[in-house]
Amino acid sequence: MRYVDCFRHLASRRTDQWVITSAGNSGQAWWAATRDAERTFYLDASMSLSTMFASGLAMALPQQRFWAFMGDGAFCMNPGMLMVERQLNLPNVVHFLVSNRAYGATSNAALPNGPTNDYPAIARGMGLDRVFAFDSVEALSRGLDSAVMANSPGHTFVVLEVEPFDAGEQRLEQPPFDGPEMKYLFGRALERATGTKVFDYQLPR
Amino acid sequence: MAHEPQGNRRTEVAKRITDELARCDIKLVASLPDNWIHAVIEELNGDKRFTHVPVNREESAIGLCSGAYMAGMGSAALMGASGFMTCIYAITKINYSYEIPLLVIITLRGAPGDHHKHHVSNGLYLQPVLQAIDLPFMIVDRAEDIPLIGRAYHHSRTFTRPTVIALTRDLLR
Repeated sequence: MRYVDCFRHLASRRTDQWVITSAGNSGQAWWAATRDAERTFYLDASMSLSTMFASGLAMALPQQRFWAFMGDGAFCMNPGMLMVERQLNLPNVVHFLVSNRAYGATSNAALPNGPTNDYPAIARGMGLDRVFAFDSVEALSRGLDSAVMANSPGHTFVVLEVEPFDAGEQRLEQPPFDGPEMKYLFGRALERATGTKVFDYQLPR
Repeated sequence: MAHEPQGNRRTEVAKRITDELARCDIKLVASLPDNWIHAVIEELNGDKRFTHVPVNREESAIGLCSGAYMAGMGSAALMGASGFMTCIYAITKINYSYEIPLLVIITLRGAPGDHHKHHVSNGLYLQPVLQAIDLPFMIVDRAEDIPLIGRAYHHSRTFTRPTVIALTRDLLR
């Protein structure tokens, strides 16, 4: 399925989830699909750490739900993260592995063993039970509810098989935030929505 | 303390470190082991004041603790010096780019007194690397200096940058 179509569909099904995107194309695609400037943290500057970042959030806020996107390029740098994710087994985090079988942010450079990597099998091998894979928008549409439904018993891992960005998509706008701005947009939104005190310096009400 | 059996002393130091972390209202500690901090990790495992998360690699601790900060939870990353040296990318990208505070507690491997030859690289380059990336660090060499952990934690939050506490062999042995 086309990367941006996949993200537009996820955006249309999203309810109250907070979203963490990864370095590379997932930030561009999510920004194109949502223009969300508050409930999404575009963690552009992190290879392979978006789900750990989301897990830290989710541990602190068990009543909130988090979606974390990660490209398979980032995943291949740190697949052992799944051991930590399985150990934490947080029911309020969904790890979306966006598999385009390439290093998308670097002009679709070749991924080691790209065509062969069996991501669901890797996840199962780490002990994850809630493993799903979708390779079309239609399949995603049918299966998303069961994959990411509320009150699921444990950590969820969803592989999205997408086509790499084409030349036009590579030129999609990057989320237009610098780092501190992103931190405060997201953190203040979280404070307003949950009553949690994120920052030591509070704004007057 | 100098005359106590070594095991008791290690445990007492570990307890003082975890007490200091608790005083900072730190709830989450993510760690990878180093022999020098074994007693601290053991102490964390049995201490209900903390959620202790053993992670697969040190960068994962950086990600996890940074996310916890963004949800208002105090945290610390605990690791050996060699593991810390693998974290420069994660720290400079996440914590510098987004100005996310982070307390990292490491071992001061390779310093005089370390009997392990393979830590020569840490002896040569650990502190120069910290200085090269302008990462404030404090060395805790005596039990009396353990409150520096709290100062480093609060300094990190005030200046929205990471800080490092380096624990010496003399403190931990």
